[in-house]
Amino acid sequence: MENHLLELKGVDIFYGDVQAVWDVSISVDEGTIVGLLGANGAGKTTLLKTISGIIHAQSGEILFSNRSLAHLRPQAVVDMGISHVPEGRRLFSQLTVLENLRLGSYPPRARPLFEESLERAFTLFPVLEARTGQKAGSLSGGEQQMLAIARALMAHPDLLMLDEPSLGLSPIFVRTIFELIKTLNDQKVTILLVEQNIHQALKISHQAYVLKTGKIVMNGPGDELLANPEVQMAYIGERWRKK
Amino acid sequence: MLEYVTFELVLQLLVNGILFGTMYGIAAIGLSLVYGTMRIIFLAHGAIIVFFAYICYWLFRLLGIDPYLSLIIVVPLSLLLGAGFYAGLFKEAAALEDKNISLLIAVGLMYLAEQLMLVVWTANPRSISTIYTDLVFRPFGINIPFTRFIALVMAILSAFGVLFFLKKTLIGTAVRAASEDMESATLMGINPHWVNVVAFAVGIGLAGVAGVGLATVYSFDPGYGFIFAIKALIALAFGGMGNVFGALLGGILLGLLESLSSFFIGAGWADAITYGVFLLVLTFRPQGLFGGST
Repeated sequence: MENHLLELKGVDIFYGDVQAVWDVSISVDEGTIVGLLGANGAGKTTLLKTISGIIHAQSGEILFSNRSLAHLRPQAVVDMGISHVPEGRRLFSQLTVLENLRLGSYPPRARPLFEESLERAFTLFPVLEARTGQKAGSLSGGEQQMLAIARALMAHPDLLMLDEPSLGLSPIFVRTIFELIKTLNDQKVTILLVEQNIHQALKISHQAYVLKTGKIVMNGPGDELLANPEVQMAYIGERWRKK
Repeated sequence: MLEYVTFELVLQLLVNGILFGTMYGIAAIGLSLVYGTMRIIFLAHGAIIVFFAYICYWLFRLLGIDPYLSLIIVVPLSLLLGAGFYAGLFKEAAALEDKNISLLIAVGLMYLAEQLMLVVWTANPRSISTIYTDLVFRPFGINIPFTRFIALVMAILSAFGVLFFLKKTLIGTAVRAASEDMESATLMGINPHWVNVVAFAVGIGLAGVAGVGLATVYSFDPGYGFIFAIKALIALAFGGMGNVFGALLGGILLGLLESLSSFFIGAGWADAITYGVFLLVLTFRPQGLFGGST
């Protein structure tokens, strides 16, 4: 039995009476980038919300470092070492950049490390250091995404969950964000990446799962899925639909 | 009539308005804090202010404690009561999607407090009379009653105290963050119950200060609380929901509006004008008059 950092086994999730996720099993190994891919409404965001404790699974197991996350509240989950960068960034726009970062290290495990976490954040994102006193809402879209990631890193996570980090960004920033994810991974941060940008995400993912209407329809190493004609069809098809 | 209007008179009206208005202001700050994290109008706020006015009155009448000195009892008591209200009444309802449940609890609490006060203190108006109750300063020919002046100072000091707390402490920053986006705040590790407790405690703490101000300045009865809550709500709307400094300014603006309209248009019209402006502001500037943020 191998030891995964995060493991979901047979997870079912409901919104009221409607089942959103069906019997999903996923494993994330330490030090890897795992992609969770699929179109809008496939259940990717629902899965991340369930892992971070915002919603709770009806059945199935969620284990992090072999400890169960079921029934835990978000504030407990982040203190165990899982940071979640939600879709749309969800910064505190009326608060300054520095205040956002300070709240990032709010969990007890991270609070004493605030100074050194801040230094790391400014090394990764020099642009934020110049803007500490500025309100988060006044930053550009790309800067806001950087702040959202920096804020999540302030909690010293073992697992970083990113929900659509490239959404709404200019192509240049999209490339920057994907390069950043690789850099973070090189620094031993394990990453669970939710993306609609399937092509880019597969290129950096060690392992990937493709979700469709709440079910896993395909999984395997990133490069394998990238070469898979079925994925290519779906991917091209998706781009075609968007046009 | 206008020939009687002198510079001193207008100045006096403005001063009266400001002195009145700061009381509305600190009540509105309390509402603003609770609204921020809980997303409800805490309608019982006025009744709680009157309750603390009675506590101040009792401490004075029964134990001979000076009303201003009683702040050292009233403020800790009100902070505790605020935390107690949340833990005892709102904790379960706060987690629900439907905020109307919490609002109904506030309504129930308001009427319960009012009825209990009627039983204990009767409907007869009470007031505190000390050696300085009738003391009046007359700088530049304007009358400034001592107790109103102290109420103003208390209001301003507590408003700045709350602002300092919100801006400079970690838990204060967490309260502001939770006011903006509770779900995102919980992802930072912030416990929603904890920020709600803090917002309630500080909000009701301000009600304690307002109660002492009220007891020293006016005569009051249990039914006065509801009117006070509505005035605070108007001040809150003027300042913009959730904007703490705006709430204080909104209170002052309301005080000025009342003072000026009751003199120039007629006392009978003052309330009608106030509510009219309240509706106009909500209709055309729902974000409040002072556009800024916390």
